[in-house]
Amino acid sequence: MILLGKLVLGTAGVCIAGAGMLCSEGFVHVNVLEKGAEPHHIEVIAPAMIAPAAVRFAFLSARVASPAARVSPWVASNPQCEVAQAAWQVRAKLPFIHAALANLRDAGDFTLVEVDAPGEHVQVAKSGDSIVVDVNNSDATVHVSAPIRALSSTIDQFARASM
Amino acid sequence: MKTSMPRGTHLARVLCLLAAGMMPLAAAANAAPAEKYLHVKVEDPTTSANVHVNVPLSLAEAILPAINNQNLHDGKVSFHYSDVNSVDLRTILNAVRTAPDNEFVTVNSNDSDVRVAKSNGNIVVHVIDKQDRGQKVDVTVPIKVADALVATANNGQLDVASALRALSDAGDIVLVTVHDSSERVRVWIDSRDTQ
Repeated sequence: MILLGKLVLGTAGVCIAGAGMLCSEGFVHVNVLEKGAEPHHIEVIAPAMIAPAAVRFAFLSARVASPAARVSPWVASNPQCEVAQAAWQVRAKLPFIHAALANLRDAGDFTLVEVDAPGEHVQVAKSGDSIVVDVNNSDATVHVSAPIRALSSTIDQFARASM
Repeated sequence: MKTSMPRGTHLARVLCLLAAGMMPLAAAANAAPAEKYLHVKVEDPTTSANVHVNVPLSLAEAILPAINNQNLHDGKVSFHYSDVNSVDLRTILNAVRTAPDNEFVTVNSNDSDVRVAKSNGNIVVHVIDKQDRGQKVDVTVPIKVADALVATANNGQLDVASALRALSDAGDIVLVTVHDSSERVRVWIDSRDTQ
């Protein structure tokens, strides 16, 4: 009985620690409300920590699909691949991107861009530790919120994938 | 009946009051300078569309070196007009800096009116384009910023990154306004994070 108790306690501890680690980078929140005759509502709240891992996994899958990548740099062997080229370009600008994101993280809350047009409103803002994008037009209302730290790690993984 | 306060106690009270009065001043002196924001506002009265952009200057400084596009590389803009490249901008700026406030250039023609002047430490340019929908352009550049634009740049280049740094030290200022029948553009710097 005591052994079972220890096992339950251990499992619960691992679960709590895992959940804590998973949530440590905050959450990505996507909320899409389609307008029209048949409105759809999609809401996703996911731990931001999975975003870099997802990018890494996506690139690893692509490499396995391309055997040439194992013997030569991926970008050189896949010049036709736009994603690989983009990753290569991002890698070159990584120090500036990190500096900009760090700067953004340290700045107070502010609205970066706001577009008001008849029937459309777009806002990109920094709120807390997140970048928040709100779009409201005649077709849909979209809200995306992503932690800046997670953005930084995701871009990192994206750039590393070109190596 | 008058009670007399010991002289030491009186002095201590005065010193405490002085110290309390000085504390807010000291706090203000130690506070970090407020972040400056570059604001851009574009209004199109014909479509009622408005675009507002607010960028902390420190963020703009960090991003600028990453932009390599057409004539902008490593925070510097290159221009390749042979008639401008042969002009020594530094010498001209030195002359303008030491000159008193004055109107240096006035051109009135059928196509446009142009006025270039120095006013309160700023270089001010007014252009009225009579051909293009009566477009009016006003540009105000602090001389310190103009200095930074050319100080470390090669001939035929303007150092935008240095100019941004210099703008952080400048006060609140409206840099550019463009007005015509279809568009209004305003670019300015201040310490507010909204427009």
